[in-house]
Amino acid sequence: MTVDTKLETPVDTQTMEQAVLEPATLRLPAVIPPVPFPIETLVPDSRQQTPAVGQRATRSDGRLHGLGQTKYIDDIVLPGMLYARIKRAGVASARIVRVDTSAAEAMPGVMAVLTGREIPVNSFGPSFQDQPVLADERVFHAGDGVAAVAAVTEQIAIEALEKIKVEYEPLPAVFDPVEAMKESAPKVHPPNSNIYATKVVKRGDLDRGFAESAHVFERQFRTQMVEHVPLEPHATLAEWDANGRVTLWTTLGRITLGRTDIARTLKMPVNRIRVVGTIVGGNFGGKNEITQEPVLALLSKKTGRPVKGVFSRREEFISSTTRHPFVMDYKTGVDKEGKIIARKVRLVLDGGAYCSWSETTLGKACILAPGPYNIDNVHVEAFVVYTNKTMTGAMRGFGAPQVCFAYESHMDDIAAALGIDPLEIRLRNVFDEGSISPTGQVLHSVVVRDSLLTAAERFGWREGRP
Amino acid sequence: MKRRGRGIACMWYPIGFTVAANPSAATVKVNEDGTATLLTGTVETGQGALTVLGQIAAEALGISTEDVHVVSGDTDTTPMDTGAIASRTTYVTGNAVRLAAEEACKILFDVAGPMLGVRPDQLEMRDRKIQVKNFPQRSLPLGEVAYHAQAVKGRPAIGSATWNPPTVPMDPETGQGKPFNTYVYATQIAEVDVDDETGEVEVIRIAAAHDCGTAINPMLVEGQIEGGIAMGIGLALQEEILFDSQGRQINPNLTNYIMPTSLDMPAIEVDIVDSYDPTGPFGAKGVGEPTSVPTAAAILNAIHDAVGVRITSLPATAEKVLAAIKAGPGREMKQLTAA
Repeated sequence: MTVDTKLETPVDTQTMEQAVLEPATLRLPAVIPPVPFPIETLVPDSRQQTPAVGQRATRSDGRLHGLGQTKYIDDIVLPGMLYARIKRAGVASARIVRVDTSAAEAMPGVMAVLTGREIPVNSFGPSFQDQPVLADERVFHAGDGVAAVAAVTEQIAIEALEKIKVEYEPLPAVFDPVEAMKESAPKVHPPNSNIYATKVVKRGDLDRGFAESAHVFERQFRTQMVEHVPLEPHATLAEWDANGRVTLWTTLGRITLGRTDIARTLKMPVNRIRVVGTIVGGNFGGKNEITQEPVLALLSKKTGRPVKGVFSRREEFISSTTRHPFVMDYKTGVDKEGKIIARKVRLVLDGGAYCSWSETTLGKACILAPGPYNIDNVHVEAFVVYTNKTMTGAMRGFGAPQVCFAYESHMDDIAAALGIDPLEIRLRNVFDEGSISPTGQVLHSVVVRDSLLTAAERFGWREGRP
Repeated sequence: MKRRGRGIACMWYPIGFTVAANPSAATVKVNEDGTATLLTGTVETGQGALTVLGQIAAEALGISTEDVHVVSGDTDTTPMDTGAIASRTTYVTGNAVRLAAEEACKILFDVAGPMLGVRPDQLEMRDRKIQVKNFPQRSLPLGEVAYHAQAVKGRPAIGSATWNPPTVPMDPETGQGKPFNTYVYATQIAEVDVDDETGEVEVIRIAAAHDCGTAINPMLVEGQIEGGIAMGIGLALQEEILFDSQGRQINPNLTNYIMPTSLDMPAIEVDIVDSYDPTGPFGAKGVGEPTSVPTAAAILNAIHDAVGVRITSLPATAEKVLAAIKAGPGREMKQLTAA
């Protein structure tokens, strides 16, 4: 606390009371004003009712959010804590020739620098371990981390990143997923093929289905890459203790499996790692795998101090996972009444530089691609390919919003061509209780028809245009 | 001028992982006053999952949401959980919580049986009491039984359980199998205005009818639907990460990456479709991800209805819509002659 000299002036010229009232006289650090707690906390009725299921119970964390008392990682400060920042490659495909950290290490306030070569097992990933924690030999996309700094302030850490010199030897790159499928395309992870996973769902006789169709329609659909944009970016606070245990407070949505990945990269027994999942300010699939956790753990080990890292908004975009862009080819055969007889779908997913949750996205997209419709003859083939772009991973819907855009646009095309109302054509085709899915599964608790009728009723679909 | 259109889209979406095991474990401790503590390894990511899990534990114990305190997200103290992913928390973790609470109930029924002069299997939990089924006059406060169990019988009421959805692996050649134990369904209908001179699209309202099995907490279901629609609007009309020719992002900031704000939100009319899944906790399935699945499709169909152009690549930015209007309707549409 700093006290203005005015306060020290004699009482006879200015009373203490006056001095305190004058706003400029006291310069206190910015602190949250104290919240007076009522002796009894008001508990809404909805939380006290039985039976509990079906109640519109307020959230247990709602009161803290409302009063601004929720502690996110950015609010947590431990004694002696350092701030970490990660240097991003800025080139999409290159061999790392040399990393010179000497100038950064010499800076006052810089406590440690870390490169990929210091990470015990420098790879991770939920399906394939194809992603380095920090790139060491090769850069696969422009958002790759190449070195990290821990410093006494965030500003010093940012300045230190500028002093780290990385020498790159450019390598050929590929950015378009359809291009990347060609034999001649540069390999993102040589010697492996860029097509790193495929999936097929096949039922019935497609050729016979198309032959029996009265009309056949074909169209290609594409979707873009988007970010989750959570309000709270990826954030972690790591503290290595003298017993060789590390505690990580982190925004991970999956702490059990995150701990497994951290243990693997650090080459440590699982029971020496404690992961605490703090209240997360939005996940949407983007916080389902580790990012900077091993880096911060090792920086904490090196410095003997707690180390915090919070992604900038820019890092959130360029270095965390995003939604898969899709290229989708649909071909559908229908009878005169608009009943779907056959459907062929080909999906190409842009997987970006690493697999991440692509296998899951591929599987769900492939299974869901025909839509919630009874189709006797179906063939879906799906591919996910590496490109030298930001990696794509889990995001709310795992490929379903992309294929839904395609199959529902296609459905309206067919309805328009045949002069059938869009609601009506769906009611003629949708699943019912006991319908067989494209993978041959007998479906239960199927209410897609009810949802169509309920939404149409609420919207006033059958009353015509407003 | 502004032209109004409407578009419909329905969808299906699975709950849990594709074939792969995705178990959850849970521990329920009934305290000596009849309140309870639930331990879960999942994490609150803003969706209200912990409140829903607390409600499930409360339902199984016949107590209220407020009576259950939920401890979560610490690998040292809470049991394993596959986590907040794949719309699985209510369904998978919820089933583990229900089973754990039932384990705790068994201890309490064993203790209460002799106290009430009936067999343990004749008892049920309701309104903070343990009572004889179909004879509620004979009952004991839950707190009294819980205290008796701990302090007299030496059997504190603690239950632990795990659950994992049963699946059948898919054939690698044909994909035939049972990749998920259950699915949810939904329909959204969008009404839009499209300015045919600028290509700008404004979403006026969306009617959303979602299936989530039993709605454990209808207010949180509505919250998920509204949030999902916001994301769906961004996917449909605005959001896109752009790259330069060297593979570097051009717009990695919220100035140039345009996404919907509260001012872009339409009126949303929510219906929760009547549904009950016998495999879920008290009939519940899930609702997190599916809420943003049909939104873009419904909006793009509404654009087609309004101005007669089929936008085949997302997002349908004003520039793209205007270019399509100028090019004329139905240009990319391909109808093949039937074989």
